[in-house]
Amino acid sequence: MNGGPGKFWRADDGVHVDVRGLQPPEPMVAILARLERPGEQGPVIVHHFREPVMLYPELAERGWTWDIVAGDPGEVRLVLRRAK
Amino acid sequence: MTLAAAFLGDARERLLPASIPFRYFAAAAGFHVMAWLALVAGADDLPGFGGGPGPVLAALHLLALGVLVMTAMGASYQLLPVATRRPMPHAGLARTGFWLFAPATAVLSLGMLDANPAALHSGAGGLAVGLLIFAIVTAANLRRAPAMPVMAGHGWGALAALVGFAGLGLVLIADFSTGFLADRQPVVTAHMVLAAFGFMGLLAFGFSHILIPMFVLSRTLPVWPGRLELGLALLAVMLAVIGALRASNMVLAIAATTGLGASAAYLWLMRAAFATRMRKRLGLSFVLVRLSWGLLIAALLTGLAIAAGAPVPNGATLFGFLVLAGWLLTFLMGILQRIMPFLASMHAAGRGGRPALMSELTARTPLAIHAACHVCALVLCGAGIVLGAPLAVRLGALAGLAGSIAFALFAGLVMLRLRKS
Repeated sequence: MNGGPGKFWRADDGVHVDVRGLQPPEPMVAILARLERPGEQGPVIVHHFREPVMLYPELAERGWTWDIVAGDPGEVRLVLRRAK
Repeated sequence: MTLAAAFLGDARERLLPASIPFRYFAAAAGFHVMAWLALVAGADDLPGFGGGPGPVLAALHLLALGVLVMTAMGASYQLLPVATRRPMPHAGLARTGFWLFAPATAVLSLGMLDANPAALHSGAGGLAVGLLIFAIVTAANLRRAPAMPVMAGHGWGALAALVGFAGLGLVLIADFSTGFLADRQPVVTAHMVLAAFGFMGLLAFGFSHILIPMFVLSRTLPVWPGRLELGLALLAVMLAVIGALRASNMVLAIAATTGLGASAAYLWLMRAAFATRMRKRLGLSFVLVRLSWGLLIAALLTGLAIAAGAPVPNGATLFGFLVLAGWLLTFLMGILQRIMPFLASMHAAGRGGRPALMSELTARTPLAIHAACHVCALVLCGAGIVLGAPLAVRLGALAGLAGSIAFALFAGLVMLRLRKS
């Protein structure tokens, strides 16, 4: 946890960011804040309540790619990685 | 991203086809050029403008309907479904509305050049239906936004003002032909208040609660100051309409003071967004946005001075210019130059593959030219109005025209690059 919006935890598959329940634009802010931490290379797993279409321009601008993977019911889960 | 379709369901539906918002933005860029062109033609008439047909009235409506309302419609259709997390109902109506509203704006403005009754009536009819479609679609979107009470409140207020300004506009058009109004001026003032402050102003304030935090990457804005700002803004608009219809300077002065209170609350909220922002370099778009906020305050202070009886030379024209070209046009140009590459990149990303970067989609040189010309236009036209100097107005309008052409080039480049991406 870093005091910002969203919930964070580290697991074997990467850093998880849960932004469900946040009001726009805090999901985007929480995810980008995580990506901009020094040394963050991903993967970052995002738990979202919808496809974050407005996040994509910001991810692309910062050199990150995204994939949508299977998640829980009612969840859109993305895996973010630094572009090679 | 082939897995996306399996998980997204209605999420994809929230993203309208890019052609819908971009047709509104492209039309706004075109009407922007026509508005300044009309003002070049009507520069001699602007300082002492008191209403009536001619190029100034045409320029006024090309700007208000063609640029300001057109941009607001495109942004609303694109952003409200995303912000409310609900698919847009009646997306086809947004296309139909455009094909009614855009030609009708041109026809009405042409009719205003020489008070041509056929053009005025057919243009007004098309605009009324186009605005009705916008109201229906926006109301359907707002009904689905219980989690965003402040933005939705601004939206409902704007729709109520839309009904008012459109209704009074139709009354004024009918009066062109029949002359049944004993005194047009109170109706003209109320029409302008409802259109500029009620409709466009409330939309600008309301969308700022979402767009400014999104663009500067800040925390969500607190709700209670937003409710306070909304309440003051609604009260100010209602008082201004009452003051206009009763020709009461005292009520107008109270309305301007209340509007200053609403603006103070709004700017406090924007400052709160800036204080928590992640994005440190905001670029040229926010230079224009900040300038527009300063001009909002300047406009309201000018309105207050006029209502208090201060001898402001050509005060009513100066007030209208500060509101429409100073505050609203500057604000929307700032937002539009930020939002167009953003939406283009978002749509390009939605197609899959490597998305086009916002920095690759934008065009910095035309935007820099536009900003410089726009500021020159504001200064020269403003000075020309106060000094009663048509030459300064004409030079300002020419600067505005050059800036608008540069902005249209920017808009064209963004759309061309989106198509190629």
